[in-house]
This record gives sequence, structure tokens and C-alpha cells, in this order.
Amino acid sequence: MSGAELAVENVTLRFGGLRALDAVSFAVHPGSLHALIGPNGAGKSSCFNVISGLYRAGEGRVRFGEHDITGIRPNRLAKRGIGRAFQNAALSPQSTVLDNVMLGRYSLTRGGFLECGLQLPWVRKQERRHTERAAEICEFLGLGAALHTPAGALPYGAVKRVDIARALAVEPALLLLDEPAAGMNAAETAELADTIREIREELDISILLVEHDMGLVMGIADRVTVLDFGRVIADGPPAEVQSDPEVVRAYLGTDSSDGTEAG
Amino acid sequence: MSDRTDTLDVPVAAPSPKPRRDLGWWIRLALWLALFVVLLALPLYLEAQWLKAGQYMMVGAVGAMGLTLLTGQAGQLSLAHAFFLLAGATSYTVLSGPTGDPELVGFGLDPLLALVGAVAVTAVLGLAFAPVAARLRGIYLGVASLALVFLGLYLGQSAESLTGGTSTGRPPASFELFGFPFSNEGELEILGVPIRETERVWYLFLALVVVAFLLARGAVGGRIGRAWRAVRDNESAAAAMGISVPGVKAGVFAVSSAYAGLAGVMTVLWFDILKPDESEFGTYGINVSIAYLAMIIIGGLGSVSGALVGAVLVNGLPQVLALYSTDLGWFTGTGENAFTPILISSFVYGAAIVLVVLFEPGGLAAIGRRIAGLTRRGKDPT
Repeated sequence: MSGAELAVENVTLRFGGLRALDAVSFAVHPGSLHALIGPNGAGKSSCFNVISGLYRAGEGRVRFGEHDITGIRPNRLAKRGIGRAFQNAALSPQSTVLDNVMLGRYSLTRGGFLECGLQLPWVRKQERRHTERAAEICEFLGLGAALHTPAGALPYGAVKRVDIARALAVEPALLLLDEPAAGMNAAETAELADTIREIREELDISILLVEHDMGLVMGIADRVTVLDFGRVIADGPPAEVQSDPEVVRAYLGTDSSDGTEAG
Repeated sequence: MSDRTDTLDVPVAAPSPKPRRDLGWWIRLALWLALFVVLLALPLYLEAQWLKAGQYMMVGAVGAMGLTLLTGQAGQLSLAHAFFLLAGATSYTVLSGPTGDPELVGFGLDPLLALVGAVAVTAVLGLAFAPVAARLRGIYLGVASLALVFLGLYLGQSAESLTGGTSTGRPPASFELFGFPFSNEGELEILGVPIRETERVWYLFLALVVVAFLLARGAVGGRIGRAWRAVRDNESAAAAMGISVPGVKAGVFAVSSAYAGLAGVMTVLWFDILKPDESEFGTYGINVSIAYLAMIIIGGLGSVSGALVGAVLVNGLPQVLALYSTDLGWFTGTGENAFTPILISSFVYGAAIVLVVLFEPGGLAAIGRRIAGLTRRGKDPT
């Protein structure tokens, strides 16, 4: 599963005169949990959007394994083995948990209106096989009891896990998590940290975690890249980065309430 | 909040990936089968005029199922349904029409082939609208699609070699299945009841409704249905899961138009004449587009069986009222201010929409689910 490295090479992104990203480079090693952090407006989300194909970098490249995925269309990511979870979860609230997670199997399955409508034998078989796998993933994330519950009826922490389950249903080699702890209280964040750690230990995939919450990141990441004003100001293991004077200045100097705030 | 999270974490023995076939499932299956049997038996008991009314409900059912897939499942508001109805009706009449008529275009195809062809033509027309559908959403898409109804009105009037024009119209070929005519030709009896044109068309329509229903249910429950709902609820999430959003939108427009096209074929077989409208209100006018929206809103957006019930109410009411009026002597007035069955039923379904929007936005489907939920032993969410 692992083996492909995500490499962000010299990516520069301009919005008019503003340099949202300035020659940003870092690499997510196969099987590692890499965190991308920074104060508000540091360019985390811009960087995330460049990787996931929403923004096109002015300069530089994004590579995944041997494939150049710079400016890839977002709907090609899943095929390349990249799963993505959303900051706002972005689920279908009326659909069941299982139905939401099954959406992740879209690029692994086939069949259009007629095939689905006619319930051809191979479609039914495919559906059964993938439903089992989706249920397994839900079980793994502690959603086993809620398979047939509409996603909109779940508490926030569980909604986030459904979103992560859907991203995992893509069978990704790399999981992109966009500020998963946003809007969570301390207990929920701790639970989320456990979930992420478990995914990393059990599934042997790389995770790129874009996060605001320092506490969450420092506890679980293997490696941390810190952005400030669109530039990489530190890159290394959490302990090293934490004591970096420039990182301390960026965090304490611009927004002191950062990371301790409970959603 | 946290204790609710805890209850979800409690591992439950063997989570079933598929909803278990519980009591409610068997009851529902039994009810569907019972309904089907009743519908099969009705022509043996009902008079032709009641069968006609039932057929009109079935026309609505097919069209409404198509619209609920598009608007309810995939979230694309469309007021163009009447246009696709007209397109289907015209295509069938032209494809099956006699060749060699100096004024009317006809291809002389076998009626079954013409029906399939008409559905295909409308699907392609729906696909042709896809570039617009991909760029607009919500009410803007609704307004843009409304333009198609006016285009249909104009084309219906001006393309007289296809439609026969507003004054005379054009009779469609009566349907035939491998040589078996859906008309009064030939002798056929079941249990001593002669099966003539009305009864035959009833069974034809019933078969079409069942096929359309099963296809829609299968699609909604499968991969493509999930893609529709994903596009409706969040386009970027849909894309991240590998869905080509413009492609899925185009596809669902084609599917919905094909359903409308089939409903159009049924319309023209029901009236036994293709007659384009003289104004924007008529058989293929704005009022029809709105009636179809009413059906799916009353039935519950996105619910296939809800669309069936909505069609029975919206298309059935004026028919049934008209039949009763002759018995009861109602609606005897004529002229502009008369209370016609159509007017009365417009009031009724208008009121039904208001009630649905105010008290049960999920429509009749949500009420049905709640009743079904009573039969299920609940670990359902509250």
C-alpha cells in the first residue's frame, strides 16, 4: 500500500500581488504521519488546495510516487490513491452512514444508470463485496452500530469519523486530512487523535494532516512542517520543531490564543 | 453530547452491512405485490372511463419518477419536464408515422422501435442541455430550463410537418407489440371480460410503470444514486471521491429526460392525438412542468414511491372529479369563471404543497417512513 511519496517541490502560489505560498517544499514519506501547521493565514489551506487540485500552482510541482499530480483534476485524486477528508465533513445528511462511506468506493466500482437500475448479477455481487468492505471500515472507526443511521443524526465527533471512513473507503495510499479538529472540544479532539493514531498503526498508509491545533499535532505526528506567511519556517520531528525559536515567535507573536482554544 | 458518542462506540454483535429483512421489509414487499395484483385485476372490474383516469395517473407516475431523480436525488431543479414530454410525444409520432405523406414526416417504424427511439431522442436532448446544467444551479437552472418549454411551444406550432400543427394535430400510430395490437382489433377475453383497447393500454402502461419504477429504485439504491446525492449535497466532496460532477449532472439530465420522453409517448397514446399547445398552458405547457414539480414535492423529493403517490393525486384528481361531476351534477358552469375539475384540483394540490412545505418537508415519503418505522423495533435514531 505505502511506497509512494508525496513531494511538494518549490510550490509558489500568487493571488494578485499576494504570495500565498512562496517556494514551499516538503515531502511526506511513505507510511508517515506528516503534519502541516501554521498560524491563521499561513497558507496551510492554500497548500492543501494545491495538493488536492483545487488551486493551480504558479510555479513548482506536486509529485505523488512517480506521477506528477500538479493541477490534477480533483476527481482524479481517488484513482491515484489519495483519499481526502473535509474540514466541514461534507456528508449527505439524509443518507445513512453506510451509504456515505460507500460513496468512497465510487472510483473502485463501475456501473451507470442502466446497470444499477437493472440490478445485473455482477452489479449485485460488486455491491455486496464493497458494502462488506465499507462496513468493515466503519467498524474499524467505531461506527459499526451506526451503519444505518442517517449521517445527519450523529454527534459531531462521529460525523467526522464518517468523513474519515469515507476517505479510507477509497483505499488510499495517502490520506489528506483538512483541519479535522476544527470545531471540536478537548474530549473530541483527544478521541480524534486516537482515531488517527489507530489508522496510521493499522493501515500502513501515509497521512498528511493540516491542522491548527498544536496539541493534537505534537502528540501524534512523525514529522511537522510549519508554514508562516507562505514560507516553510521549520521542518522536522515535533520535538525539534516545538523548540524552534522561529516557530515559537510565529505562534506566540501573531495569535497567542492559538491551539488552546476549544471549539 | 459526549455520552451520545459513547453509546455509538459500544460494539454491537455482527453489524449487518445490509438492513436486515425484518418484519417491515416483508410487510412492504407484501403490500407492493398486493397493489400490483389489484392493478392487474382492475380492468376486469372497472369501466373504461375509470381505466382512462388510471392510465393518466400512470403517465404522471413515469414522468414524476424521472423528475424526482433529477430534482430530488441529484438536486437539479428543472422546469423543462413538459418540453421533454412534448419531445417524446413528437418523436414517437414521427418515428411511427406512415411514410410517404406529402405534408407530414414519418419513418414508418415499428411502434415498439418508435417508443424506444423516442426515449433515446429525448435522452439525447436532455444531454444536449447538459452544458447549461453544468454551469447553473438552483433557481437559475430552473429559470433557464423553463426557456425550453417556450422553445417547445414555438417549435410545436411552427414545425407542422412533424407535429401536425395546432389546428388539426396528428394521430399517432396505435401501439403494437410483436404484432399484437393495443387497439380494438382482434378478440381477447379474460374471465369473460372482453379486453379491448382501454384494457390493453392499461396493461401496457402498467408494464411501463413497473419497468420505470424498478429501474429507478435500482439506480437510487446503487452506485449511480450515491453519485447523484453526492452531487446534490456537496460537489467538492463528490469530486474528491472520484465523481466527475459535470458528467453525473449530464447523465441524470439524460435519464430524467428519457423518463419524460416515455411519459410523452404515453401521453400521446392516451390522448390518441399529438396536438401542440396554442398557448403556454396546455398539455405540454408550464402548468404541466409545475404539476410534475407538485407531484414530487407532495410525494417527497427524491422518493420514487412518493413520486407515484404524488402522480396519483395530481394527475388523478381532475380526472376523478370530472367523472364524479357527471354523477353528482357538479361543475355544470362553463366559461371563464366556472369551477372546472382542473381548477378545483389545482387548488387542492396547491394547498397540499403548502401543507407539505409547512408541516412535512419530506413529503408523503417521510410520513410513510415514519409509519414503516413503527413496525420496526427501534434502534433508529431519535
